[in-house]
Amino acid sequence: MQVTSRVIRRRVVTLLMLLLAAVGGLIARLAYIQVGQTQWLSGQAHNLWSRSIPVQGVRGTIFDSTGKPLVYTATAPSVLAVPAQVLDKGATATELAKVLQMPVDKIVASLQQHKAMVWISPGGRRITDTQAEAVRALHLSGIYITEEGKRTYPEGSLAAQVLGITGTDNQGITGIEKQYNSSLSGKPGYIEFYANAKGQRMPGTGEQYIPPINGNNIKLTINLQIQQFVEREIEQAVAEYHPDRVTAIVANPQTGAILAMANYPTFNPTHWRDYPPNTYNQNLAIWQTFEPGSTFKVVTLSAALQENKVNLTDKFYDPGYYEVAGHRIRCWKAGGHGSESFLNVVENSCNPGFIALGERLGKQTLFSYIKKFGFGTKTGIDLPGEGNGILFKLSKVGPLELATTSFGQGVSVTPIQQVMAMSAIANGGLLMKPYVMKEETNSVTGQVVQQTQPTVVRRVISSQTADLVRQTLESVVANGSGRSAYVDGYRVAGKTGTAQVAENGHYSNGHYIVSFMGMAPANNPRLVAYLAIDHPRPQNGVVFGGVIVAPIVGRILGDSLQYLQVPRSTQGQSKKFRYGDIPLYTMPSFVGMTIGDARRTAIESSAQIRTEVVGQGKYVIAQAPSPGTKVPYGQTIRLYLGGQVPQRPAVPPPVH
Amino acid sequence: MNRTHDGMDWVLVCITLVLLGIGLVMVHSASSVISAQRFGDAFFYVKRQLLWALLGLGAMAWTANVDYHQWRRWAPHLIVVSFLFLTVVLIPGIGQNRGGSRAWLGIGSFGIQPSEFAKLALILFLAHNLEHNKGRLQSFWRGFLPPLAMALVVVGLIMLEPDLGQSVVIVGTAVLLLFAAGARLRHLGVLAGMGALGFAGLVAMAPYRMMRIVAFLDPWKDPLGKGYQIIQSLYALGSGGLLGLGLGNSHQKYLYLPEPQTDFVFSILGEELGFLGAAAVLALFASLVWRGYRTALYAPDAYGSLLSAGITGMIAVQILINVGVVTGSIPATGITLPFISFGGSSLTLMLTAVGILLNVSKQSVFPVR
Repeated sequence: MQVTSRVIRRRVVTLLMLLLAAVGGLIARLAYIQVGQTQWLSGQAHNLWSRSIPVQGVRGTIFDSTGKPLVYTATAPSVLAVPAQVLDKGATATELAKVLQMPVDKIVASLQQHKAMVWISPGGRRITDTQAEAVRALHLSGIYITEEGKRTYPEGSLAAQVLGITGTDNQGITGIEKQYNSSLSGKPGYIEFYANAKGQRMPGTGEQYIPPINGNNIKLTINLQIQQFVEREIEQAVAEYHPDRVTAIVANPQTGAILAMANYPTFNPTHWRDYPPNTYNQNLAIWQTFEPGSTFKVVTLSAALQENKVNLTDKFYDPGYYEVAGHRIRCWKAGGHGSESFLNVVENSCNPGFIALGERLGKQTLFSYIKKFGFGTKTGIDLPGEGNGILFKLSKVGPLELATTSFGQGVSVTPIQQVMAMSAIANGGLLMKPYVMKEETNSVTGQVVQQTQPTVVRRVISSQTADLVRQTLESVVANGSGRSAYVDGYRVAGKTGTAQVAENGHYSNGHYIVSFMGMAPANNPRLVAYLAIDHPRPQNGVVFGGVIVAPIVGRILGDSLQYLQVPRSTQGQSKKFRYGDIPLYTMPSFVGMTIGDARRTAIESSAQIRTEVVGQGKYVIAQAPSPGTKVPYGQTIRLYLGGQVPQRPAVPPPVH
Repeated sequence: MNRTHDGMDWVLVCITLVLLGIGLVMVHSASSVISAQRFGDAFFYVKRQLLWALLGLGAMAWTANVDYHQWRRWAPHLIVVSFLFLTVVLIPGIGQNRGGSRAWLGIGSFGIQPSEFAKLALILFLAHNLEHNKGRLQSFWRGFLPPLAMALVVVGLIMLEPDLGQSVVIVGTAVLLLFAAGARLRHLGVLAGMGALGFAGLVAMAPYRMMRIVAFLDPWKDPLGKGYQIIQSLYALGSGGLLGLGLGNSHQKYLYLPEPQTDFVFSILGEELGFLGAAAVLALFASLVWRGYRTALYAPDAYGSLLSAGITGMIAVQILINVGVVTGSIPATGITLPFISFGGSSLTLMLTAVGILLNVSKQSVFPVR
């Protein structure tokens, strides 16, 4: 054997060992990838191969508090194509064209689009169930039938700014639709399939259809009937006064539930794109901030009573102005109210009287009450876009700022803040958190998913103080500036407000926001109602809140309480008769009389009551309005007849 | 020591045929989607591969029956022809540029790669040269450098195409051959140092080579660019798992993995046949290497030993580089997997080379067990 050969053999054996070791290394590397990392890598690969096309569920319905739909999604089957999944576009189009009665080339054009999914328009949109069945029966690859929905508003523009709007992708943009978007929209489903790198379906792999979960239904605290009363009144006010804006809220003071909320200008949510953006983007009732004016005096009054700084029978002299730090702040009434009690101060909404109360409280105490009543911070209502309002910084409050604040100038508040402050007075002193969502229910099972419980934010004043404030405010309506809000039998308590609007740093002449904040019945308020008119332009030129807004709020409260079947009461303060008011008469009882007797009594009464007969029989078994109701001259009474004298007086059905 | 004349290595024949069969099946499976996409015929690539395989088997049968000593005479001529082809292929209009390399001669899809031909010619030449000058091998200038210089000239021409993969294989094969021939380790060390410098120069010349290295270190840094191929390959192997998705069931061949029938066919093999399938193929390759070096050990003369060692070394280097790239173990380098990947020149050349190996084995004297 040669030396070289031996070297070669040694080297060859070495090489063989080295190379086999290298192959062994590769096998180990393969084991690491294919066994060790297989889970992670195949997961990544799955994400790479699979294509998911989202399918939206049907958006939930929004109901009013009595279960009447305010907005729902009307669905109809529609044909959805996933172009990448369609294997033979020509044949698919031909088959579809027959069912959908559309030109073949138009369908081919849709199928050739480079999109994840396309609707077959227009023939394939909102088709009949028979057509949908026929398309399903074709079993075409990449062609799906899904429910396509459209938001439908059976009540038109009713509560439009509370409900809000939805966009093209079915997403809530404003209002409840935005606030509860995740609940309403449900969970999207998916069409999942494996695709090649060009997005075309991988042959031999299945597809998975994960159906969407429909959205939950939302029941609001908004009451359709009360909302309609409010919107009717707003319409009338707009027709009469041609204002810039109007805002109204009706709330249940015991819970903080909002029963009605409406604004002008408003919009029709079906065609919201045709309206200026601020109509559908802003809900004035929670967003707009302005000087409240005299409605704010309620806060000063409550603070002064709670802190024992005033006795309502105390005397006060109003010369027509109040001097603060060398400035004369005028009363709204030229020449002043003269000598009056503090009850009169409230009834007359006398500015100097309130400045005096403010001074007695001092800035620390007054501002602590303002904050306790919830001003300067959001109420936390479950609607998007709430405003904060602006208060003076305590360090910057001098005597002048204290004076103006005490009668509602120089502070900026939202309508909802005022309603919640008024509700605290109405419910015995508790500031509640307002809400509009009553409960969320599963749209399929009807099961309640969540329910809003009334939330107490804090106690603001004692229930005795609240009682006293309510009595005072009832007297404002019976005798004072709010007297046109008087509703007989429903003890309305309230406060007017007239605020001049500052424009460019100065109060503008002729531009006022007039408002009224009321509650009823005063002894145990069921409702708080607020309405503000921004820049009313009345014919006769009088723009005080008491004249313009008080009767509107009175009608809203009266109609709503009647609708809620709250019994009328005779316990309340009766209204003082002034020149120009219609005198009221007490309705006598006709029940148990024969029809002849009843008619005679009616004509002979001082009120010259007219009669109208319902039903047949000899005796009057019920009447409307009921006995004891205050009615104007010439009122018509409805008499319900029966065969026998009733054992007990029957309660007539509510009249609208 | 008791020795016997054992005849041709039929085990090597069997291993080769099994690998060839696996290759045809995998080329068909891996290429069916891309074939249908490009040519409207799922069998486009496999039909061509089958033709080349038949041609290659013919060549193998022929070389197995040609006395390997004949190659000593033909080697100088073959190397001259190689230089000629390698030069001609660089001329635009004659050489075809595919995938960034002007490496093909021929008409339409029936192209041949002169570099494949040159690779074998170089082995034949070096085996002859090293045996002829074995007395001078210990001298750096007169023994070690001339064969190396020859290899580097071939590599230089191939780098003009440019084809990094073939160049690396040729350098690797030459180094293994020099090692087997008994070159001094010190000389090989100097060569390694020079190689490192040369590689640095090549990277400086064409920065994309550096990017390939970066991609190998962290393919997820640029998942849609430089790291794309490696990631796709790892997805294929990883989703194959232990047992694989089953023959024909690869998902990555649906246009995710570029050119799945050539350099990355092993990824699809791993995806469809799993770790067990892929490891079995590597085991077959390992036995092929074993049979090749076994032939080298028992060859009747030093030329036969060196010829066998050279051919086996070439096959081994290609396997290691290809599988190394596919598993993300080394920087991306385009080279086919012997007997498995689609590629006429490569397949024919490999089978021809195995034929030569078989002829050496035929004349070897193996020990009796």
